[in-house]
Amino acid sequence: MKYLSFISTLIITCALGVLVALPFGQIPPIAPLLDPNHGFWQNSFSEDQLAEESLDLENLNASVEVVYDEQLIPHIYAENELDLYRAQGYITAKHRLWQMEFQTRAAAGRLAELVGPMALELDRMTRRKGLAYGAELGIAYLQKEDPATLALVEAYSDGVNQYINQLTDARLPVEYKILNYKPEAWSAYKSLLLLKYMSDMLVGDRDLEYSNLKKILGKANLDRLYPDFPSDNDPVIEKERVWDFQSLYPAKPDSLTYPEETLQLEALAQPTEGTGSNNWAVSGKKTKNGHPILANDPHLSLNLPSLWYSMQLSTPQHTVKGATLPGALGVISGFNEYIAWGVTNATKDTRDWYKITFQDASRKAYKYGEEWKNSEFRIEEIKVKGEEVFLDTVVYTHYGPVVYDKSFKSDRQDVNFALRWIVHQGTSNEQKTFLQMNKATNHAGYTEALKDYAAPAQNFVFASKTGDIAMRIQGKFPLKWKEQGKFFMDGADPRMEWQGYIPFEHNANTLNPERGFVSSANQHPVDSTYPYYTFDHSFEHYRNRRLNSKLTAMDQITVEDMKALQYDSYNLQAAESLPVLLNLLAGYGASSKEAQKYIADLKGWDYFADPAKKGQTLYSIWFAETAESVWRELMDQGAPVVRPNNYQTIALMRDTPEDAVFDVHMAAGIQTAQYHVQVGFDSLLVAMKKWEAEEGDYGWADYKKTTIQHLVPTFKAFSVQDVYTGGGVGILNATGSRHGASWRMVVELGPTMKAFGIYPGGQSGNPGSRFYDNFIPIWAKGDYVDFGLKKKEDQKGVLFKTILN
Amino acid sequence: MKFLLFTLLSTLVVVFLNSVAPYWVVMIAVTVLAALIRPSNWGGFLGGGLGMGVAWLGQTLYISAVTSSTLPDKMGAIMGLGSGLSLMVLTAVLGFILGGCSGLLGVLFRNLVQKKPTDVYLG
Repeated sequence: MKYLSFISTLIITCALGVLVALPFGQIPPIAPLLDPNHGFWQNSFSEDQLAEESLDLENLNASVEVVYDEQLIPHIYAENELDLYRAQGYITAKHRLWQMEFQTRAAAGRLAELVGPMALELDRMTRRKGLAYGAELGIAYLQKEDPATLALVEAYSDGVNQYINQLTDARLPVEYKILNYKPEAWSAYKSLLLLKYMSDMLVGDRDLEYSNLKKILGKANLDRLYPDFPSDNDPVIEKERVWDFQSLYPAKPDSLTYPEETLQLEALAQPTEGTGSNNWAVSGKKTKNGHPILANDPHLSLNLPSLWYSMQLSTPQHTVKGATLPGALGVISGFNEYIAWGVTNATKDTRDWYKITFQDASRKAYKYGEEWKNSEFRIEEIKVKGEEVFLDTVVYTHYGPVVYDKSFKSDRQDVNFALRWIVHQGTSNEQKTFLQMNKATNHAGYTEALKDYAAPAQNFVFASKTGDIAMRIQGKFPLKWKEQGKFFMDGADPRMEWQGYIPFEHNANTLNPERGFVSSANQHPVDSTYPYYTFDHSFEHYRNRRLNSKLTAMDQITVEDMKALQYDSYNLQAAESLPVLLNLLAGYGASSKEAQKYIADLKGWDYFADPAKKGQTLYSIWFAETAESVWRELMDQGAPVVRPNNYQTIALMRDTPEDAVFDVHMAAGIQTAQYHVQVGFDSLLVAMKKWEAEEGDYGWADYKKTTIQHLVPTFKAFSVQDVYTGGGVGILNATGSRHGASWRMVVELGPTMKAFGIYPGGQSGNPGSRFYDNFIPIWAKGDYVDFGLKKKEDQKGVLFKTILN
Repeated sequence: MKFLLFTLLSTLVVVFLNSVAPYWVVMIAVTVLAALIRPSNWGGFLGGGLGMGVAWLGQTLYISAVTSSTLPDKMGAIMGLGSGLSLMVLTAVLGFILGGCSGLLGVLFRNLVQKKPTDVYLG
């Protein structure tokens, strides 16, 4: 009896001890998670409660001091650069490890390893686009051409790994505990991969859609509805700029034939609408204090932990501060003691598709001119949680990887398209650009730093203490004949090849222009006099004009003025189109009480998308429904296409309301713009009836529901929802429901640098910390925190200090 | 007496040992402690359970008090349990079950290896 009870209790106890350590489906092991000493409870502590006076960091040449300010912004003081970046890696990992790891796993196409088969398609897509392939080439390039940069990237990586190796269960970020996995070693490769991932996030192409549109609409109509330049183009580089170089613009070959079939492929994921940015610099002659002021606000998906992490990095030779990308070295958008710089996305079509004609089903060779070229095979081994490893064979041509083929995303057996993209060229060195920029002291240093920068192309704004302001559209841009790459090309025809690259010196740039400011807001980079082919589908048409008209009009500018401009919520598109809509509505539906109320809201609106404004909500629905109605037949052709942009749609409604594009073939009679405006208004009434019944108030912030989402969307409690803030797409404060100003910075370049910054998140990546989302309320109101440079001795506003040795 | 002593000591063992060792090491320690002190069967179960349960509950209360963190509520929402309070209860119950089984096991083991004390002067 004694034996029986002992043995049964032994079995029960052991089984229990083991069971609570096992995951069940999506439920993580319960005991390690709940154990108050090692589980999630331990993640309740904020960083200042866990402050250490000193920490072990090996391989340092001298000890490094880290001083945190009251916002948990670390200021790292090192004696040399190797120590500095080793410490940057260590400290970044300490606050953002899970995020850096998760993002690089996504970039490597390794999410299925964590979450199972649901991520397999996404992983395959990521890999077939060749991001990892590009990063491998990038490492090989550094090994051969730039061992000095590689040594710094490896020091950073060593810092991250030393942190991982010291990590206790208690300090393990809570996401690992919930998802039940452990961090793996960091590497220089992952840092490069992260920069490639930025390209993926920011670069799109519409070759598929334009190929289809050309077939559906015909070339003449395509050019009319989708012109290369808008009628009032207000480009990044001022129109007055004279291009005084000998252009290498290649002539278009005669009698080219394009792949002709209408393509039913699924379009590649594109940067979401609302992804964009503003930056500008005003010269001292326009400012109150006589010093240049620089401002930058990149717009990206609003996520937690934030994409950005702010830091000051100091050695005896240089001190730089601003926004870093966890995983990459140095500061990406910031300033030092001499200069300030910032970035916006410079969209320009740098991704092209070539139809590949394989010799036979083995796909070992493909047609190129008169010969057959050999292809290469890359086997992607994708681990899938709970399932067997998935092997994906990707064919590589000299153009790049064949993304769509018989095994992937295609109903058609004969479709094979290769992707040509700068990301696959192994000769770029973006990391070096940022390392050099961090140390640059003048315009020459800024220009020199940009020489190694290839992708994703950015508008680099610049200002210096000595009074220079500048803008350079930097990327490695293929040399194309007119309209090359706008449509799918035939990879068998060598004349379809890119014709080389636009020389660095010919990339559009300007220094101290007459107008006293430089600016960019993702619009057309240049006007039509720039002697190279410039095309992209997604150029901005409103933020740029609002920004430039304000900057032109402003004088005696202060830092406060620049902050207010970053937060400006004037909706220029509404100002230009609402009168057109109201005019075309012509009293339609006015008998209904609701309609009268909404019309009164709209007529009384001042075009500012402030949080409480009802007019903005009504306009945004009405315009969206109207445009939807105008282009419905075009979109319903059964093949992926894109609509003409809002600017063109509005121009057509205003200037030629009886244009044939407004006629609906399915409906009787002949329709004009008026018909669509009225259909849109009916839809508005339906939508508002539902909204008012279910949600009540329709003030803009209540309607758009800005959400800053955790990187794992199902962890809703780690997201911050319904942030009360204004702005929207096409507005300088570009904060929509899921996208917006991901970082705002204003720097005045006087004798001492005055700087202010904010981002919608917090310095800590830990959802349990008080520093996880403490910046959000400040950001939502358009306020900033002080971002001035700090000296090691400064005692004011110190949260705590840590010595690394 | 033995029950109280055992409860108190296992609470202390959990508080101090658990900060450096995972929960299963603590379970073994509670088992050993029960075997050494040898309370009754019920005393072993209740004492080990209360020891670990109370220690874990106390620690969650302490952490919540000193951090004022919203994390327990966020975790409660993610795990579909509502609030942080239910996680606190769950943590205490889990501690109780793990500690209780360990305590009982220790007592049963001691009973197994120890012969009836026939040669002891019983007064």
